Amino acid sequence: MGPERHPDPSRLPTIFAEIADDDFHPLIEEELDKGTIPIGTTCSYIPESLLSVDGLWPIRIRGGDTRGTPMADTYLSNVLCSYVRSVLEQVLEGRMEHLRGWVFAASCDHTRRLYDNLVYLSPPEFVHMVDVPHKRDAEAVAWMARELKELARKLSDAFEVDTGDVALTTAINQCNEVLGMLAEIGRTRKHVQPPISGTVFHQMMVASMTLPKKVLLPALKEVLAITHKTPDEHRHRARLLVMGSQLDDYRLIQLIESLGGLVVADRFCTGSIPGLKRVEFDDDPWVSLAFHSLNRMSCPRMMGDFAGRLEEVVRTAEDFRVDGVVLQIMKFCDLWGVESSAMTQALRERSIPVLRLEREAAWAGEGQIRTRVQAFLESIAK
Amino acid sequence: MNVRSNYSAVIDSVVSTKYWALNWAGIGRFGLRHSPFPIWSHMRQYPWLRALLKANELHGRMTKTRTGVYREANAFLIHHIIESIVKMLEGWFRSPDRSVLHEDLVPPELFYGMGLNPWMVEFLGIMLPMVQPDHVEPYIDVAEDEGIPPDVCSLPKSTVGMVLQDHMPKSAALVTSNMPCDGGMSQYTLIERHLKIPAFRLDVPFHFYGERAVEYFARQLRRLVEFLETHTPAKMDWDRLREVCEERNLAMAYEYDLWDLLQYKPAPLAAEPVYLSHLMFGIAQPGTTRATLVFKKMAELAEKNASAGKGALDDEKVRVALWNPPTLIFTDLWTWAEQKYGAALIMDMLTYHRHPFIDTSTPESMLRGLAQTMMQGPMARHTRGPAENFFSDLFHLYERFDLDTIWMAGHIGCKNTQALNGMFREQCRKRSIPLLIIDYDLSDTRVVSPAGIRNQVAQFMETVM
Repeated sequence: MGPERHPDPSRLPTIFAEIADDDFHPLIEEELDKGTIPIGTTCSYIPESLLSVDGLWPIRIRGGDTRGTPMADTYLSNVLCSYVRSVLEQVLEGRMEHLRGWVFAASCDHTRRLYDNLVYLSPPEFVHMVDVPHKRDAEAVAWMARELKELARKLSDAFEVDTGDVALTTAINQCNEVLGMLAEIGRTRKHVQPPISGTVFHQMMVASMTLPKKVLLPALKEVLAITHKTPDEHRHRARLLVMGSQLDDYRLIQLIESLGGLVVADRFCTGSIPGLKRVEFDDDPWVSLAFHSLNRMSCPRMMGDFAGRLEEVVRTAEDFRVDGVVLQIMKFCDLWGVESSAMTQALRERSIPVLRLEREAAWAGEGQIRTRVQAFLESIAK
Repeated sequence: MNVRSNYSAVIDSVVSTKYWALNWAGIGRFGLRHSPFPIWSHMRQYPWLRALLKANELHGRMTKTRTGVYREANAFLIHHIIESIVKMLEGWFRSPDRSVLHEDLVPPELFYGMGLNPWMVEFLGIMLPMVQPDHVEPYIDVAEDEGIPPDVCSLPKSTVGMVLQDHMPKSAALVTSNMPCDGGMSQYTLIERHLKIPAFRLDVPFHFYGERAVEYFARQLRRLVEFLETHTPAKMDWDRLREVCEERNLAMAYEYDLWDLLQYKPAPLAAEPVYLSHLMFGIAQPGTTRATLVFKKMAELAEKNASAGKGALDDEKVRVALWNPPTLIFTDLWTWAEQKYGAALIMDMLTYHRHPFIDTSTPESMLRGLAQTMMQGPMARHTRGPAENFFSDLFHLYERFDLDTIWMAGHIGCKNTQALNGMFREQCRKRSIPLLIIDYDLSDTRVVSPAGIRNQVAQFMETVM
């Protein structure tokens, strides 16, 4: 990996990089010791704020540093996406025993089968599948609100936590505060000289999905102060938007930036665009949360919304002044696999250069990725 | 004995010849009803029409090794499939503005109720490999060249390839859903972009049992009717829909009679009269008088054999359940396995799904009935999940039909079922059920050839059974 030219890491809190590097950071153990109840999730359609009420703590399960998935492959086969295989492998290796429960979204075939196999092989103390609609109309929002209430009832019964309206509103407000700060930091990446790199920003995103939100508030405030004061001096060959499948390992972005790209926008479910939208309150917090869950991020599992996704990418590319798009998809993901065909074509029709990369959940194939990114940068660099 | 045997052989020949001639007559009538130029022009634009002319070869393959009632059932079935395809083509030729493309698990009853001509988007991707195993491979290549990954199911790929080549019949609107899998669902993004016609999408909940799901889905069907009334010249005729739903109920009753008879040992019918009849008339074209006619005939022929104590096979040795869609690239699997091992296909996954009869008393009750039908459809229930549907239905039918083995058609592109194979193996071992998982691709002979499938079955039969 080449030297990171941007930004000066010594000026930033180290907590984000540490957590992004370590699934079992000491702060996680501290939270466990405090009695906070960790609930694992695998999808962005599960609202973090509901899993943050009254002592609950959502942990977005990462693909992890698995060196292969032999046990998971026996059950899931080797043609499922490597994220779900990695998650099952970690469960079978006993690396998920700190979780007190799992909440799944019926978001894709692979996740649904992960749920089936998890329940079969290692039934968790608490497990629930939220039936997330594939649409976003009023009926779908009403359906989702019922689903979230049902989840809340089950969480309340299982863990004796308060999931009432007031507790939920409090949790939403806390999450909104963190989302707001992350969004503000994210917006600074529109600058000609962004104050932080894509690598650092992604580490912050991963950390925010791993620890309870309130734990990160002081460090986030520190970053915010830095980003407002001192735009960093740095050189880059091209500003890039990275989009596509779930990405929880910053090393892909770090690799791109080591080659002279600058990742200024991240349009994927664990990224900031448009995932950092705040929950806007209506009369009923459950409806507000359901609306937010279905609308904050449109993954290709949402039917009939390709045009919306495309326009959002195009708008983001303009807002963040990107020179090209890296469309990274997890190998064997049918949703992104098919969508990427149409998306690549549509972006090229709009004269936006696109690099379509297939990758695994765990960091692998660095050499091939490096070569392809280098070639892409050669073709678009100013 | 010889006299009787010779007499049976003559009758079998007469039956085959009769239906062979009827099939050509049906195709010929279609040609006569249209002037040659449009047909010639369509054949240039839609090359698969030429492949469909070989449909009578299917008749030959399905009948040549079968005898008596079993042969008649196959000949009758293939004849009505050909007649149905001719009717579909006529509707599309005559009035493309009243033609609607629909995804394979969207039942066509609503379209019939509105006087529209439904055309199942995946229909050709299913039928063409049955007639000519490698026929859709160029379409798969087109889709992969367009950027669809090779690991995606070959049925959506062949369908997308056909659309991109402009080989899909022109239609006024598109109706699809989130069924039966992610690949199948997301292909419609490309199809809609290419065809540039209005599209409506139905969303089947994951938790589809229960009143809430029925209400949710029935409301979507109501909006679908409004959509079709907006984008086509058609209006819903609720009385016509009632007739269609009653026809469906009637056909289903005959099919249930057939299933009861399949419990007999030996089974009075097997293979195509069970699975292909359902594929064509239970899934693709339910609610038609022809569907009722076919299931009635199948039940009658099964009854005829059963009352004579005869089986479809002269010597039924092994009763098989097929799980997953049938091996489209090798439909001769069953004629071969019957001859070689006395293996009879008794029941399969696409066929075995039990629906409540549709209550036709009001428009709302019909929409609710159709909602249940679709949500509990074969692939909706089994391949998409949850896993308990997959296993509970399979082991239930294994007991009900007193089967000897399960053959899993392990289509490499079906990730939903690939992800259950581990559990599947363990569940079968626990129940001492011999399980064969056939590695192959549904529509692509280049992945595993028909000979490769045959070898896998042969090794299983000779070492396990």
